[in-house]
Amino acid sequence: MSARDQILNQLRSNERPAEHPEPWRSRRNFPDLAERFTQTLTAGKGEVIRAANFEAALNEIDTILHELQAKRVAVNDTAPLDGLDVTKRWPDFEWFVAGKSEGDIKSFCAGADVGLSGADAALAETGSVVVSSGPGKSRLATLLPPVHLAIVPTSILTSDILTWTAARQGQPGANRVLVSGPSKTADIEQVLAIGVHGPKRFIVVLYDD
Amino acid sequence: MTATMHEFRHSAFVAIEDIQLQSALEGATHKFGTGRTDALAEVPEVEAMRDHFKKVRAATLSQLAHHLETFEKNATAAGTQVHWAATGDDACRIVLDIAQKHGVKLVTKSKSMATEEIHLNQVLSKAGIEPVETDLGEWIIQLAGDPPSHIIAPAIHKTRHQIAEMFTKETGQQVSADDIPGLTELARQVLRQKFLAAGMGISGGNIMVAETGSLVLVMNEGNGRLVTSTPPVHVAVVGLEKLAPTWDDAAVWLSLLARSSTGQALTIYTNIITGPARPTDPDGPQEVHIVILDNGRSKLIGTKYEEVLQCIRCGACLNACPVYREAGGHAYGNPYSGPIGAVIAPLLFGLDKYSGLPHASSLCGACKDVCPARIDLPRMLLELRADEVEQRVLPWWESMSERAAAFGLASPGLFKYGTAVIRQLQRPLAKGDKLNLPGKLNPGQSRKTPALAKRSFHDIWQSGELDNKNGGE
Repeated sequence: MSARDQILNQLRSNERPAEHPEPWRSRRNFPDLAERFTQTLTAGKGEVIRAANFEAALNEIDTILHELQAKRVAVNDTAPLDGLDVTKRWPDFEWFVAGKSEGDIKSFCAGADVGLSGADAALAETGSVVVSSGPGKSRLATLLPPVHLAIVPTSILTSDILTWTAARQGQPGANRVLVSGPSKTADIEQVLAIGVHGPKRFIVVLYDD
Repeated sequence: MTATMHEFRHSAFVAIEDIQLQSALEGATHKFGTGRTDALAEVPEVEAMRDHFKKVRAATLSQLAHHLETFEKNATAAGTQVHWAATGDDACRIVLDIAQKHGVKLVTKSKSMATEEIHLNQVLSKAGIEPVETDLGEWIIQLAGDPPSHIIAPAIHKTRHQIAEMFTKETGQQVSADDIPGLTELARQVLRQKFLAAGMGISGGNIMVAETGSLVLVMNEGNGRLVTSTPPVHVAVVGLEKLAPTWDDAAVWLSLLARSSTGQALTIYTNIITGPARPTDPDGPQEVHIVILDNGRSKLIGTKYEEVLQCIRCGACLNACPVYREAGGHAYGNPYSGPIGAVIAPLLFGLDKYSGLPHASSLCGACKDVCPARIDLPRMLLELRADEVEQRVLPWWESMSERAAAFGLASPGLFKYGTAVIRQLQRPLAKGDKLNLPGKLNPGQSRKTPALAKRSFHDIWQSGELDNKNGGE
């Protein structure tokens, strides 16, 4: 008998009828999702910059990239940036556009200064941004560079992880990550240290759309 | 490693004498404990949410075969290769086969209790494959050759000075012990090279979600993203009980996990993996394998110990436990420490080897109070004690003396006669009201065992002396 059958038979021999409880729904009701998102993410050592509209958000990105003195930037070719030719708008930087640029994405991201992404959703309660894999959506772009910069419209804010999962549709892609701050650890004498393996800074430009 | 009564006591005494360890344990468990309280207080109707979660966990385990099959079907449809391992050895063999098939020489690992449990690193090393732990705490204890001392903070027993010394030895770079960000940065640089060079990544898994065949990994450092995104092959080893039927269940699970564990609403990264990279993805692993690990779990279903499989490994019970807070993790003699370890280790690895653990508890019930699934650990500790008597796992001399005592105590005549005999026999050893027993024979260890009084209470009562005394007042 295979290990699979052995294990499943053992479990089945003690299977009992069970009533699975009805899903637990969110009890949250934040008056201002953007406000809560900003508060929580900031408390978790993330950074939030508010912008009035998409164009203002692009200007903020411009300022941030220059302030960081970035040279190489990896970018996900996804909403809301997919309609934009970043190489034309910001010719000062060396760009790698996921799914479009030629060359090895892993070695580019390993040497990049900033990873720029959009987001699928954002959770107000926990200050989390959901990024996923897919066509034009690199995992390494938001992971290997020391800074992860995300441009997020307020329309994709939802209350919390419960409302986010309740609104799910279809099968997810290969990878989906909820990012709730910069990489951190307290493994040495319980002292907080920022930026151990993932990005050292997590900056969200949150704009009204 | 094992933890019989004698071994547990011995290690606990060593830990209690270690002032540095005591202050580290106190600091960490206090910080996690208050963090948990504050984080849960912020959640509306959190007690009802915990009750709900308990129901979800119990219902899931009642029909676990069905849910695992659903998970397997959906994970396979997403391109994940699902394996089943009856024992720890089987799981190691499966992982080793995958590594050898791909000619892997270097493996990066994210923190996983399941792979600690099956001693995967030893198996890989023996086969000439270098496993590198990448969680900072796990890397520290790997360099030290130590087992983890806390489920979520494996290196709390190491000081910054010990860590700086190990880092210097490993990297050849001088680094100051007082510069914790500097130590962290050094680890980042060294391990980053490992991430980029590794042929395979190995992780554990916090939740398998049956509905979509997804694997959920939570972490703060980001290593669990690097391990599962950078190398071409990702293998996860997951205990078969870590299953949520739906995403609604997984969301409640995640709402309680980090809050109970580190006091965070969510960990920094919640990483969800549903199969290997799709053909149109710019990056990601080409293969994803999930090894579903039994290793003694399935036989607990339907028994009085089934409830222990509701555990989500948050570590809250460790922080709440007065015994863990003094004894530390190593005394438990296996990767699972604290109250949950005291129940799981005897059940998964043998009551005879871990006979001391059911007694490593004051039965105060703090563990049950803080458990997000309200697992009744004190009840199971008592059940295990009863099993020890039934299965006679105690040493022959202990069980003989217990039975002789039970026999003697049941009969007043025999009790009277027996104590009279002992009164005579103890004479050469008695000094005042204490017995001077040679070290090994002394059941009280560092404390002296009291001698039998010259006259029994029964004798004094019968003589009427007490009446006289009271009457005289």
